[in-house]
Amino acid sequence: MNVAWWCSGTGQVWTWRYTPFLGVWVVAATLIGGYVWSHRRAGQPIDRRRFRRWVLGVIALFVVSEWPIGQLGVGYLATVGIGRYVVYTFIAAPLLLSGLPSWLVERWLPEGSRRQRTVAALTYWPVALLIFNAVLFGTHLPVAIDTFKTTQLGSFGVDVLHLGAALIWWWPAMRPAHERNSIQEPIRAFYLFASSVLMFVPAAFLTFSPLPLYGLYELAPPLWLGFDPVADQQSAGIVMNIVGGFVLWGIIATLFLRWAKEREAEDRIARRDRDARTFARMADLEHGSVDDEDATKPAS
Amino acid sequence: MSPRSPLPRTCLLIAAAAMVLAACSPATSTSLQATGLSAQPDGWRGVPIELDRALPDVAFEDTQGQPVDLGEDFLGDPTLLFFGYTSCPDICPIHLAAIASAMGEIGVSFDQIDVVFISVDPDRDTPERIEDYLGNFNSRMVGLHADLDTVQEALDALDLPGPIIEGPDPRGEGDLIGHPAQVIGFDSEGQAQRAWPFGARRSDWVVDLPRIVDEW
Repeated sequence: MNVAWWCSGTGQVWTWRYTPFLGVWVVAATLIGGYVWSHRRAGQPIDRRRFRRWVLGVIALFVVSEWPIGQLGVGYLATVGIGRYVVYTFIAAPLLLSGLPSWLVERWLPEGSRRQRTVAALTYWPVALLIFNAVLFGTHLPVAIDTFKTTQLGSFGVDVLHLGAALIWWWPAMRPAHERNSIQEPIRAFYLFASSVLMFVPAAFLTFSPLPLYGLYELAPPLWLGFDPVADQQSAGIVMNIVGGFVLWGIIATLFLRWAKEREAEDRIARRDRDARTFARMADLEHGSVDDEDATKPAS
Repeated sequence: MSPRSPLPRTCLLIAAAAMVLAACSPATSTSLQATGLSAQPDGWRGVPIELDRALPDVAFEDTQGQPVDLGEDFLGDPTLLFFGYTSCPDICPIHLAAIASAMGEIGVSFDQIDVVFISVDPDRDTPERIEDYLGNFNSRMVGLHADLDTVQEALDALDLPGPIIEGPDPRGEGDLIGHPAQVIGFDSEGQAQRAWPFGARRSDWVVDLPRIVDEW
């Protein structure tokens, strides 16, 4: 049985023979084991809801990095490759972030520590937006794909960059309001929407280029006769544009609706309190319990 | 405060070492060349052939059973010649798809350039099979076949290595056959001018095809 560390473009003929990627298993085990270990070490109970999100995030990473999807995406089909990016960025990263309890973040990033200052600098939303888009554009340049994805170390590095940039990017939008650098509506909606618009640029290059941009996919052994790398590339652009866009816009809509619902609930409570005070005052007036002196006293 | 457990750091170090070891060793015996061909000093992407070689006078049959003399029947138009086999999993379909796609992209027709595929696998490649195979790329590509000795004669005339059995196809489709991986370009007088090794991309062909039409 073939064993490798991470998926990469090998130039070998595709077969349905299982090739485990040890690195993927190590990363998944480290992420889940580390989460449980951190809770035990701190003597904190595991919040099942958060843990479920964390595990789902890890499963998403695992599925698109392990054989066969990882290998198909890195070595054979641009569509699957972009699909992997979409899952890393728009599914795994937000799930992982929403699975992190605040106390764990505070423990990992003690106030005033160098680590905390670094994370704070990276996750300040204009910086995060810049980093995310720089990684998005930079790692989808043909020279980057053709150079890095043909080695296991390079491919692993690109995947780490994608996940890291996605975590940085989601941080201000996903972390609770009381945490540093957290942004709320309407800035959050603008922040996410701006990224979805910028994502159209590389997606448009993929969709409308008449020639294959990536030698990696063009020169890989075709999965079937008559396979057209240009059609594959167009399909990859559509995945980035439509699927990535829909997932992102779905998240934007969900966050916005949740925010609107919270505002509405706050307004309702405030209105109810105000009405209750008004009714109480009216009732007091009807029963004449308010001193005339008080009632006529000008507001101070 | 309890002393920090060294376990996570040790695990990380082991994982990092394993990663570097695994990642630095080649994954396969054949590494992928994804960068395409570099431009020659004269702007062509195809590599010039310095030796004096011409389309060999060897008799083949096309997929309709008609006799074809390689050295005579393709004079008058530039010719791109490729030796391969229809069960080839990588080099042949990649070359043929790139040529067909680039010709379509820039509007060079098969009336202007002859694209000839000669099978090096006479046992499996029947005329029908060759015709079906080429139809996946463009049905106007010319498929030729003959017995192995005749194929070898043509290869020898062009100083190209003969076909060798490389071992079983990992897809379970018989044996893999080693064969010349380059496309050879002949001008309209049948003289070999350029070769395009494996790694030639559509972006290389769209540079060279108009020059083939204009200059050859």
